[in-house]
Amino acid sequence: MRRLSDVLPELLSSAPGKAGTVLFGVLLLVAAYVVLTFPADFGPARWSNPALWGDYPKTAPPVWTNLFGANRPEHRILEARTPTRTDGKVKTYVLPLDYQASQPPTFLSFSVGDVTYQAHPPTVEAVLIRPDGGAVRLYQTVPGGPQPGETPPYRRNFQEPLRVQLETEPTAVEAAYNFLSEKYDPHLNFDEVGRQLPLALFGTVVDGRFVVLKGGYRLEAKVRLDNPQDSVGLVRFVVGGAVYGLMGTDSQGRDLAQGLLFGLPIALAIGLAVSTLSTLLGTALGLVSGYAGGPTDLLIQRAADIVNNVPTLPLLIFVVFVLGAKLWLVLLMLILFSWPGLTILVRSMVLSLRSSPEVEAARALGCSTGRIIAYHLFPHIAPFIFATLIFSAPGAILAEAGLSFIGLGDPTLPTWGQILEQGFRTGAVFNGYWWWIIPPGLLIVLTALAFMLISLGLEPILNPRLRRET
Amino acid sequence: MDILRPLLLRAVTLFGVLIAVLVLLAASLGATGFSDRILEATVNEEIRGLRSSLAGSIRDPDELERTLQTRAAELRASYGLDRPWWVRIPGLVTRVLTLDLGDARSIRSYSGSTRIADIILERLPNTILLLTTSTILVALIGIAAGVWLSTRIGSRIDRFITYLAAISNALPTWWLGILLILLFTYRLGWLPSEGMYSVPPPEGGWPRFLDLLRHSVLPVMTLVLVSIGPSIYSVRTLTLNIAQEDHVNVARAKGMPERVVLWRHILRVAAPPIVTGLILGLAGSLGGSILVETIFNWSGMGRLYYDAIAGTPDEGLIVALTFMFTLIYVLARLLLEFLYLVLDPRVRYEEAVGRPA
Repeated sequence: MRRLSDVLPELLSSAPGKAGTVLFGVLLLVAAYVVLTFPADFGPARWSNPALWGDYPKTAPPVWTNLFGANRPEHRILEARTPTRTDGKVKTYVLPLDYQASQPPTFLSFSVGDVTYQAHPPTVEAVLIRPDGGAVRLYQTVPGGPQPGETPPYRRNFQEPLRVQLETEPTAVEAAYNFLSEKYDPHLNFDEVGRQLPLALFGTVVDGRFVVLKGGYRLEAKVRLDNPQDSVGLVRFVVGGAVYGLMGTDSQGRDLAQGLLFGLPIALAIGLAVSTLSTLLGTALGLVSGYAGGPTDLLIQRAADIVNNVPTLPLLIFVVFVLGAKLWLVLLMLILFSWPGLTILVRSMVLSLRSSPEVEAARALGCSTGRIIAYHLFPHIAPFIFATLIFSAPGAILAEAGLSFIGLGDPTLPTWGQILEQGFRTGAVFNGYWWWIIPPGLLIVLTALAFMLISLGLEPILNPRLRRET
Repeated sequence: MDILRPLLLRAVTLFGVLIAVLVLLAASLGATGFSDRILEATVNEEIRGLRSSLAGSIRDPDELERTLQTRAAELRASYGLDRPWWVRIPGLVTRVLTLDLGDARSIRSYSGSTRIADIILERLPNTILLLTTSTILVALIGIAAGVWLSTRIGSRIDRFITYLAAISNALPTWWLGILLILLFTYRLGWLPSEGMYSVPPPEGGWPRFLDLLRHSVLPVMTLVLVSIGPSIYSVRTLTLNIAQEDHVNVARAKGMPERVVLWRHILRVAAPPIVTGLILGLAGSLGGSILVETIFNWSGMGRLYYDAIAGTPDEGLIVALTFMFTLIYVLARLLLEFLYLVLDPRVRYEEAVGRPA
């Protein structure tokens, strides 16, 4: 007889079993990290909140793609919370930037936040100091003045910084034109500067054309305070990159690495929850059906026959469509549709065990039905049940992903299927945004594969006849 | 006669499935107030039409309102809106069975009809085409390669197929489809990724057929690739198990030619479980075909599902499609059950001896 404690050595004795266990362990560790570090409301509060992703580049490939091709600029977010130097009333925040890409930034933005003042709001001026010594005044702003009925100190832009998109800013265009035409090319076309401002700001003019100027830049934000108690707590300069992070961004600028990470614990939870609960349900019904016999048996077997013959995906689509896209509902449906196979198998196993000497002896000794099931039937089928549990997990993960992919995913929980769906719907396939399409699918495959490899290692338990081959 | 009795039993079960699904559809539509909203919208639509046509003949606004209100009440009664939803379940079930589900919101058939029945019946052959082509291909390749593989157990290719089968179970069909599009359409530019015909479709029978063939390569390939691994693997394992049975050894010992042993003593015995495997795989390929149609913009019922869900959802279409997919599934299973009965003499035998003489 094979016991549940025999399962682990059996698993670790085969190569796929070992690989699957290691892969599963790694996935569990990463999932634990995500659960501990990500906020629970990551979906609505971060992922689906467009305001948060404004300063990120749109559909930017991962940074490491630079290893293979063009030297595209990385995304840089430069921030200062305290002034670098103070000259009387003027405080200067210096944000240094070493620009070595051969392409210009995709966009530029400047933000000021956490402003506190007593009487008059501070004036903020952003100046770009170039490697060739040029100082280009990009922008000047004054946070909102006091409202009637408000009392000092006035606080401004704590929730959302005062943000300006620089590449369409007239002040910056004019300053860039003045500087470049004076220093490099007096015949410079003003409209051309306006059209390619990031390049003009981060470049020089050679033969009437802009060329990227590499070197050390710095942005100086000069804040003129009216009162010594006034303060500006945040200055941010974003140099939009053409590549971003480990996994790139989607069309809304969202960091795909974050979305993909958050999808892992969800996928694992879906797989484990559905397989555990449906295995429990299937085993319980199979035990009852096989041991009780009679009308109970007939009823359970008829029900299993009917549920077993229902095509899951169409019904799942329908139910989710009618009752709303909620994850628990999807899980419930998956559990309710996946028990019959196991019930039929367990019943047939119980039928053959029921007449075994062990069970007959137990019955002769006056054991209760519950005790016989728990101590004399269940241990015999436990390894098989465990193997089935692992084997059924990928199906649940794939079903949820498929449902998300046709647009019926739970909007409060971003899953891999949903990331793929958004990519597919907005033409990522057509545009060749592979970093948006391939990683989520690959992660689904990897997670499902961890379960499949483990169950491949458990194959001798699922199918004892196979042992003869070797 | 012997063969019909068990088949009839299966047919009754499957018909039970169909009715159970329909009642589930009707109940969830009724309990959530969905069907009320659909019907209310239909009534309002008719009243609006009536108002514009009556506005010319009835001058008095009060009288017009009265006429319209009586008409609306009549319509509500005829649709059963004055009765609670559970009373209407049989009515709804009959209407779904006859596909009498009114008009689609914005989706039209190619001839311009708005009737849901027209739209669905037009799409039905396209789905069947995709599903049957891939299922038959999977069965044929699976059997041929599986039998061949069972003579090469433990070889490198055998291990490869074993792993392929495991990976296939972890591979989302639709994602594989997207990968194939990225590769064959956008990288290599060999095959079209969208639709069933080029725009404009070529004239004449042969060019049109070849165009359809070209467009079906990627969707069919996707469906075949995801199920071919498990299919080969299960045939290989079944064949292997039976090849170890005593009767096969006896046949060999008698000096029978290997070909006869294979066909008569191994494959003949393996046929019923192979069909069972096909039956079990059917649900997967049905679900797969829904998603594959979506990816490849194959104008079948699966793509229709996607279109009916996206944007303003179309309840009538979704109910009809869910029913149609269940129907296809049930019919396909019945077909395979029939095949199973033909192939497995034991079922007929037991049935025959089981009957009182």
